[in-house]
Amino acid sequence: MAIDTLKCVGCGDCVVACQTENEVPIGFCRDWVVEVTDGTYPQLEIEIRSERCNHCENSPCVRCCPTGASHYAEGGIVLVTQNKCIGCGACIASCPYDARYSHPKGYVDKCTFCIHRVKKGLDPACVAVCPTRCMYFGDLDDPKSPVSMVLKNRKYKTLIPEAGTKPHLYFLI
Amino acid sequence: MREEIIVSGRMNPFIDPHLNIWHWQIPTYLFLGGLAAGILFFAALFYLQGKEEKYRTAVRVAPLIVPILLVLGLFALLLDLKHKLYFWQLYTTIRLESPMSWGAWTLMVVTPLSFIWAAIHLRDVFPKWDWKYQWLKDLEAFFIRYKRPMAWVIVIFSVILGVYTGILLSAFNARPLWNTSILGPLFLVSGFSTGAAAIILFSKNPEERKTFAKIDLLLIAVELFLIIHLFMGFLASTQVQIDAANLFLGGPYTAPFWILVVTMGLAVPALLEVLELLKYRIPVYIPAILVIFGGLMLRFIIVYAGQVSRWMY
Repeated sequence: MAIDTLKCVGCGDCVVACQTENEVPIGFCRDWVVEVTDGTYPQLEIEIRSERCNHCENSPCVRCCPTGASHYAEGGIVLVTQNKCIGCGACIASCPYDARYSHPKGYVDKCTFCIHRVKKGLDPACVAVCPTRCMYFGDLDDPKSPVSMVLKNRKYKTLIPEAGTKPHLYFLI
Repeated sequence: MREEIIVSGRMNPFIDPHLNIWHWQIPTYLFLGGLAAGILFFAALFYLQGKEEKYRTAVRVAPLIVPILLVLGLFALLLDLKHKLYFWQLYTTIRLESPMSWGAWTLMVVTPLSFIWAAIHLRDVFPKWDWKYQWLKDLEAFFIRYKRPMAWVIVIFSVILGVYTGILLSAFNARPLWNTSILGPLFLVSGFSTGAAAIILFSKNPEERKTFAKIDLLLIAVELFLIIHLFMGFLASTQVQIDAANLFLGGPYTAPFWILVVTMGLAVPALLEVLELLKYRIPVYIPAILVIFGGLMLRFIIVYAGQVSRWMY
């Protein structure tokens, strides 16, 4: 997934769409908006990012899971099998992005890239509702997918690449 | 001056404003596991050296509490799980990449062995003990016959258990304070040191106490050396690890760490043990209790401070 930080206005629609689509319990979120203000007045710069699980290629959460509940689904999306999760919290501690949380029902929950929608050929809920269309989703292995196309033409960054997790959430800058 | 203000919309419980997912259960378990590993290691080691009679407390008496320690530790671990009824999923797979999986299987080996070791020494410690049923007596005779190989397995697995309590934390690259391989040996040595202290507490034989006071002194010296290396490593590393070290060098964990762990848990008992070896009269239980207390505090402080340390972006 790629997110255009120049188009994002920080409205929070992605957050609400996710909470509704995935029945995220009240008080929790799988995606969130971060605003970074840099500099001193009047030389201010602002960056707005809609963040979520980075679906890393070298995921510390998958590595440290003692039961194999955290796993890579076909295509590279990182998922949690609820009835294999024991709620030990190791994956939560292992995520440098703090993208996971403990669901009140006991298991660990996180962004799934709305895999149930993706399988039907739809975009994830957050991408589908974005009023500024600042998010691009698709298969990175397919050069014709919207995400591959936009990454070819724009400058981008990933978050803390030095953590070595090979994140797959790209921020266009 | 440049300023950076970060505003995040995320406020997940146990995650924000900083990670807070592991509470008292984890450090308590890490402490009990290290203590159990220490007692078992010395018991099996001195048995293998043929010093069972000389160090009777270490080989026969102190291991009696190990099953209790391990069961309490396992209970603390179970309390920590948030999806408790699924705990058996740990034993449906072996995941070599996950330290927690290693630990679960190590405990699966060590816990039964600790029960057996305690059981075969019960009659010696309590002369009136009677196993009542013939099959229990046969079972006891069977295990006594294989005591030597069992002691070897205990020596190896108690080291794995001791190291694993540190590796569990050091495998998390997301928490810079934990992400150092020194944590494995540090927790191993600290666990063995608390084990030696527990043996001193139980022992009534002055010679045995003296031997374990010397062992403990050596372990404390190694521990202090490892702590110095820990900070040297952090301060020579990346910004996130420098920040992690600063939690203890002026940050919020400075006083608890240097007073409770380094001074009360290491320096003072080391000094008292030296004075004792120089024939000053010091009640033996004071340094022993301080060492055990220091071991517990070390784990609490590392577990809590580690959750505060993080990558910033």
